[in-house]
This record gives sequence, structure tokens and C-alpha cells, in this order.
Amino acid sequence: MSRTPTRAPRSVLVVAVLGIAFLALPVVGLLQRAPWSSLDDLLGRRSVLDALRVSLTVSAMAAAIVVVLGTPLAWMLARVDIPLRRLVRALVVLPMVLPPVVGGTALLFALGRRGLVGQWLDRWFDITLPFTMAGAVVAATFVALPFYVMTVEGALRTMGDDLEQMAGTLGAPPLTVLRRITLPRLLPAMGAGLALAWARALGEFGATITFAGNLPGSTRTLPLATFQALESDPEAALALSLVLLAVSLVVLLPTRDRWLPTR
Amino acid sequence: MVRLLAVGLLTVGLLAASGCSLLDDDDNSDRITVFVASSLTDVIGDLATEWESVGGSGLVDVVGGSNHLAAQLRDGAPADVFITADAALLDLLAPDRTPIAVLDRFAGNHLVVAVPIDNPAGIRGPADLQRTDTILVACVTGVPCGDASFERYGDLPINSYEPSVRAVVARLALGEADLGIVYATDVAAEPRIIAAWEEPPACPCVSYAAAALTDRGLEFLDFLETNPARDVLATHGFAREVAPPGSP
Repeated sequence: MSRTPTRAPRSVLVVAVLGIAFLALPVVGLLQRAPWSSLDDLLGRRSVLDALRVSLTVSAMAAAIVVVLGTPLAWMLARVDIPLRRLVRALVVLPMVLPPVVGGTALLFALGRRGLVGQWLDRWFDITLPFTMAGAVVAATFVALPFYVMTVEGALRTMGDDLEQMAGTLGAPPLTVLRRITLPRLLPAMGAGLALAWARALGEFGATITFAGNLPGSTRTLPLATFQALESDPEAALALSLVLLAVSLVVLLPTRDRWLPTR
Repeated sequence: MVRLLAVGLLTVGLLAASGCSLLDDDDNSDRITVFVASSLTDVIGDLATEWESVGGSGLVDVVGGSNHLAAQLRDGAPADVFITADAALLDLLAPDRTPIAVLDRFAGNHLVVAVPIDNPAGIRGPADLQRTDTILVACVTGVPCGDASFERYGDLPINSYEPSVRAVVARLALGEADLGIVYATDVAAEPRIIAAWEEPPACPCVSYAAAALTDRGLEFLDFLETNPARDVLATHGFAREVAPPGSP
């Protein structure tokens, strides 16, 4: 089926280009100040490699947890008639709009050594989350989860449940319907949500430094290392920013148009 | 559609126009802005009160790690006075923000090892700094308290490098850390933490320098040398007499 492309009014295009320029300008600024000649040396530093390793590990683990927790959550929000749905959804989106530092403080009061749940983790299982890589994963998961849930829930709603209903009438058990029909159709949206959540986890700063602290090789992620380098070694900060930019693009680029499933 | 767009653009334009006046920070024009090292967090409020009572204009304080503040000033943040725990940072401000005048070593401070008031890990003496079963927090190197900590105690099994001394204090006050390296004044100011052990004040000491970045800042520097200001600092535990550099 061929369609004529939408004719764009010129005025709209002008504003759209303005929007692109506004978003692209800071990236250009970063690139033109980048210390290209000494980049090799800067990127080879132990501190940079440590931060890169911590960031990749933490964000990958957070992304994995996000998929495991987020898929059922998105499905429930889209398909099940739960009480107080609006409230539940607001709660799910909250970390998106909450300043991450507040999120980190809240995590501290909940999961810190003297926190609501954290004190029992500490007492019974000898698990202390703050100042550990696990703590950094918790912080990253907290801020990234909503991005995944929102994307996947939106896709579930757009896609409708006609096929599921049909399979149900033909006698397929609910879990089979989920496995054979819902999930396969949902994969592109899950991919997009995963990319968004992963990218958000990579960029996480406030909740991490508040909840997990700042220790090289364990909780000092690329954003933390960048923040710190900015004050003492701006060149290194720029190099770190480039690394972060590159990694984020690698995560985001493959998503392209696969935002919502095609019907 | 075109009409909608026109309305949209008009709205954006109006918002931008009104926003410009809303965003004007002229409100602070009759007040002086003081960038303050975070170890002076508790004292700056009292200094401001005193300053206003002797006829000074209002005072806006911006508190943070000395380094962080120096970086902001270098990048053009507006301030009349910069009070730093490390006078060397003033050199970083050149060439654009070279201070008009500097009041060096107007107050002093020293490091102590502090624990939460209930001392959950049973910290008793300097040897406990090397324990690995405890959570030890300190300032990151680069901020004055971090550099001084490293100079005094060397390599320690630190669990988290905090961006400012107040962050270390908060870790201890909330009981998330077992011990931390802070300033003597922090122990005096925060009821939820205590010194881990008694010892005479020892250097490396931190001394504060105040730099005037504008003409109005000069007045505040003069004020810092007056007796009322010095009394406020002394009340908060800051040393009046600061040892000259290089002395033990």
C-alpha cells in the first residue's frame, strides 16, 4: 500500500527545526570543546575505565531488573481492571518527575541501614545496600523503571486485545495467550522501552550519589566521575562526557521507529 | 491549522516575553551574594543576621564544596564574595574573576574523626580507621576536607567519597556510616554525631579565606574582621588564631 507523504506546512517545519537546533546545540558545544588530541591518553586512564565498567555493569543489571519487574507491571496496568488504577499509575510514573536526589533520599529512608526495610535487611540477612554496587543498581532501577513501563503499557493499549480474546474463546489458557500472542507482538515495544530505561540508567546521577555513595570501581559511575572531574580536571570531564554520549547513542540508535507495534 | 499554529506561536511569544521579566533576577540587586564553603553552612546564617544588624544589605548565601563553587565562579556564576576553605582555589578564578581583595586566614578549623552518637561499630581509636568491616566516609580529594583528610590519615579503606563535608556529616547523622572524617565545627554543630576519640587539635589545619569579587564584596570583608563577626565564628567553634602555613 503506497501513501502520499504528509505535506508539511513550512511554518511547522521551521519550528521543528528550531527544536532540533535547541537539542543539538549542547551536543555540538561538547564536541567542539572535546580534547580530541589527548583523548587517547584520557580514555586510557584507570579512573575512566573504572567508571565505564561500573556504569555498564550497573545499567545492564538495572535494565535486566526493569524488564523482569516492568513487563508484568505494564501488562497489569493495561489489561487488568485493578482498583485505584490512576493512583497506581501515578506512583509508577513518580520517579520520572521526582528530582533524583529526592529519590535517592527516599531510598535511603526505605532501604538504608536505618531505613524502614533496610534495617531488617541489615539485621536479618546482613545486607547493606548503600555504598555497594547493588545500591547503585537499586538507584538506577528506581529511576529507569517508569520509562519501560510507560512504553510497554502504551503499546499494549494501542495494540488492543482482540487477538487475545479470540485465542481465549478458542480455548487457549491465559498463560499460553500471553506467551504465544501478547509477548511476541510486544517485543518491539519492549525493545524500545528497554533502550529508554537503559539510557536513563546510564545517565543516573542524583539518586546514585545520594543512596549509593561514590567509590571508584564500585559505585562511581560515569556521571559521578564526570561531575567530580568537572571541578578538578575539565579535560577529563569532557572525555568522560564523550564516553557517556557514545554509550547512550549505541543504546538508543537501534530503536529507530520501532516505538509502538504495528497493527 | 494555520490559525491554531498562529495562536500557538503567539502564546509562546507572550510566554517568552513575560518569562523574560519573570526570570530577571533583579530581586537580588540590593543584596550581596556570598559563595560559602560548605563547612561554614551553620555559621553563615548567623553572620548574615549580624551583618544585617550592623546595617549591611541582605545576604544571599550559596553553600557548596569549595571546589565546586570555584568552578561555578570560573564559569561566571554571580557572586560578590567567595569564602573558601582553600585559598589556592582563588588562583583558579583568574583571569576573569580575579578577586579585588582577599582576607586570608580569618578563621581556622581542624579535622576530627566522628561517629554517630550511638557509635554502632564501637569505634575507639585511630586503629579503627583501618578496619574493613565498618563503613567509613570522607570527602573526595579535591575538596579541601578531602585533601586534608588524605594528608593527615593517608590511604584509608574509604567506602564513599562525598562531594562536601556536609554530605559526610549527613551520612553519620543518619547512621548510614560508622565513622567519617569531618571538621571539629561539624561535631560541635550536629547533635547526632560525636568525636570518636579525644585528641588535641592537629594539623593539617584548614584555614578560610574570603575574597571580594565586587566592590560591594569589600564591605563584607571589612565586616568579617569586626569583633561581632569574629565572635559569631568563635561561638561556632572556629579558631580565631590560624597557624601560619608550614607550622606543625
